Amino acid sequence: MKKFMVLALVIAALAVAGAAWAGPVQGVTDTEIRIGQWGPQTGPAALWGAVARGTGVYFDLLNAEGGINGRKIKYYLRDDGYNPNRTKAIAKELWEQEKIWGFACGVGTSPGMAVMPYIIKNNIPWVGMATGSPHWTQPPKKTIFGVYPLYPDEAQILTAYAIDTMKKKKIAFFYQNDDYGKGGLEGCLRELKKRGMKLAADVPVEVGETDLASHVMKLKKSGADAVIMWVYPKHAAIMLGTSAKLGYRPQWMACSTLSDVALMFKITKGLWKDTIFGNFAELPDSTNKLMLKYHRAQQKYAPKERWGVFFYAGFGFVEPMVEGIKRAGKDLSVDNFVKAMETLKDFQGIMGPITYSAERRQGIKQVFLAKCVPGIVMVKGKKVTYGKGKRLSGWLKID
Amino acid sequence: MDMKRDYYEDIRLLDSGPQVFWMIALLAALAVFPFLVGSYHIYTVNLMAINVIVALGLNLLVGYTGQISLGHAGFFAIGAYSTLALMQHLGLPFVIALPVAGLISAGFGFLLGLPALRLEGPYLAIATLGFGLTITQILGRLDFLGGHMGLQSPKLFIFGGLIDSDAGRYAVIMPVCVALAWGMRNLAKTRVGRAFVAIRDSDIAAECIGVNLTYYKTLAFAVSAFYTGIGGGLMAFVLGFISPHTFNIMVSIMFLAMVVVGGLGSILGSVMGALLITWLQQELARIGELPYLGPVLTELSQQVFTLSGLPNVQYVVFGLIMVLIIIFEPLGLYGFWIRTKIYWRTWPF
Repeated sequence: MKKFMVLALVIAALAVAGAAWAGPVQGVTDTEIRIGQWGPQTGPAALWGAVARGTGVYFDLLNAEGGINGRKIKYYLRDDGYNPNRTKAIAKELWEQEKIWGFACGVGTSPGMAVMPYIIKNNIPWVGMATGSPHWTQPPKKTIFGVYPLYPDEAQILTAYAIDTMKKKKIAFFYQNDDYGKGGLEGCLRELKKRGMKLAADVPVEVGETDLASHVMKLKKSGADAVIMWVYPKHAAIMLGTSAKLGYRPQWMACSTLSDVALMFKITKGLWKDTIFGNFAELPDSTNKLMLKYHRAQQKYAPKERWGVFFYAGFGFVEPMVEGIKRAGKDLSVDNFVKAMETLKDFQGIMGPITYSAERRQGIKQVFLAKCVPGIVMVKGKKVTYGKGKRLSGWLKID
Repeated sequence: MDMKRDYYEDIRLLDSGPQVFWMIALLAALAVFPFLVGSYHIYTVNLMAINVIVALGLNLLVGYTGQISLGHAGFFAIGAYSTLALMQHLGLPFVIALPVAGLISAGFGFLLGLPALRLEGPYLAIATLGFGLTITQILGRLDFLGGHMGLQSPKLFIFGGLIDSDAGRYAVIMPVCVALAWGMRNLAKTRVGRAFVAIRDSDIAAECIGVNLTYYKTLAFAVSAFYTGIGGGLMAFVLGFISPHTFNIMVSIMFLAMVVVGGLGSILGSVMGALLITWLQQELARIGELPYLGPVLTELSQQVFTLSGLPNVQYVVFGLIMVLIIIFEPLGLYGFWIRTKIYWRTWPF
């Protein structure tokens, strides 16, 4: 075992030897920027690991176009299996052994929380964590830039839409009983309070529950005509299935974590139709120029990947980082990069408009709403129905 | 070879001169280690030391006493959360909070030991598995412990000195690890240790010769939980943040793997198993960067396995190593060590 250890050390030493004299800024040479990301490729959250692979394809695309300011990106993707102690090991390994310059995205609140103090202490740039938790940007930290819109903001937007546009009178909230779900609930209550309204019912669900009949009964009894969901895909699917059986058909509304519309349509066997959901990024079939370009990159570099929202979110979460690096120019010192990031004002890629300033580290405050409609696609000469999103609004914001 | 001529020779902690020598050499090496390597390697060794502590505790239960546990992540969590809660809510210093957390964990171990008196084998495995899962569910709902949000560790002060580097934490963890290993060696050599082994070999026979089953089985659970709780308390500071997700079922399974792969009923085995598995978990993540082999494996995994690619290979290799060790050396790494020792002792014959 010792031999292997020595061998590994030698390999690691050789790998970083070139970098050690490269310049005063760690992870940057005249031709290269090293960027790392952790993301669950295995374990309970592996589905979201697509984000980290999307980022890789985005960097492939940028490198093929000549890189940023003449520098190619060297990308390090590590699987942490959603296990914080591995995330921390990965962060240390990438920073201390591979000598990376900064971190991109990173899925999950617990893994991120385990490494945040380390990142702050070492003054490492970190942009676009793939979670809507407020920890990252409240209070603001110098080198940490959030992208994902916060859950309370999004819930407020959905609530306002239900009342103003859809003329719903009784809103109920169905949420996962943790910080994710409670974040949504908080936003919904805030919006209702502003209008002097009351929530028809708030129904929490625990992660482990599988029978939601009593939850449906509670919602049905409340007489709510719109139900906002802040849960995992599994619970949303069970909820819609059980409600259909029990003859309860309100207007369903959902958080952007449920915005993978094709997937939701499939696992609800079509019940997802007409559900209104928040979106932090363009729809998969969007004709946005960047989206088309990214889609072509996916077909070229990762043809087996599904073109779902969590995959191309891996592009979108790092767009501001890339823009910041571009604007910082040749000198990529952390201070210079932070200054460049703070000049981003309504910068837009495939996600909502992103603004940073000296006091603001939360990039996006907007979401847009879409509705699930059935689409038809030909597979091997057979018509197959799938779920697609129909855009209902522009980027909406709560002040 | 290992001839014992009287009782006192049998209970001696170190059997021979060379053993004393190597023990001193090892301690010296551990003392100078943090001065020689970077912070990442110290962090790895800190994780290893914590896993050694847990593996020692679990081995006492599984290897010595013959009880099984798939719920040690639960004790690990109790240790971690108790340490932080005692420090934050009661303002206790770390040096008191850690052992108290160990005792709280031991208390839960005792409680779990009670049903274990009537359960054996697979039934006990299920009961302990349930315990491990329940603990994380409960922790997720206790708001004063951070709920699903988790808890940030407070600053670590030892006798007034702030510790916030990996080397500093090493200086706290390693002595605890060495002391607990020493304690375990002691325990295994005494009357209590022999009672555990007697229970493992045949609990009915053990009871016939006067071993109090109720007492010793629950004691084994309590001591095992104590070790694991101490490990958890230290882990809270190595990570700096804990949440219920940190203590999932995979953690319990990895602990069991450490003990089985290292060698059941052996202290050296616990140590070796913990070292190997911690190291594999960390280093296999970089398998794609091995020269020649890496690109081949990456390509293979993308063709044959799912899209996430390499991490699959990582788990396949991990599993393969486990299986090979168990097939070729049922006694685990410890058995391998014994064979090597005998080979060299009788060399060149």
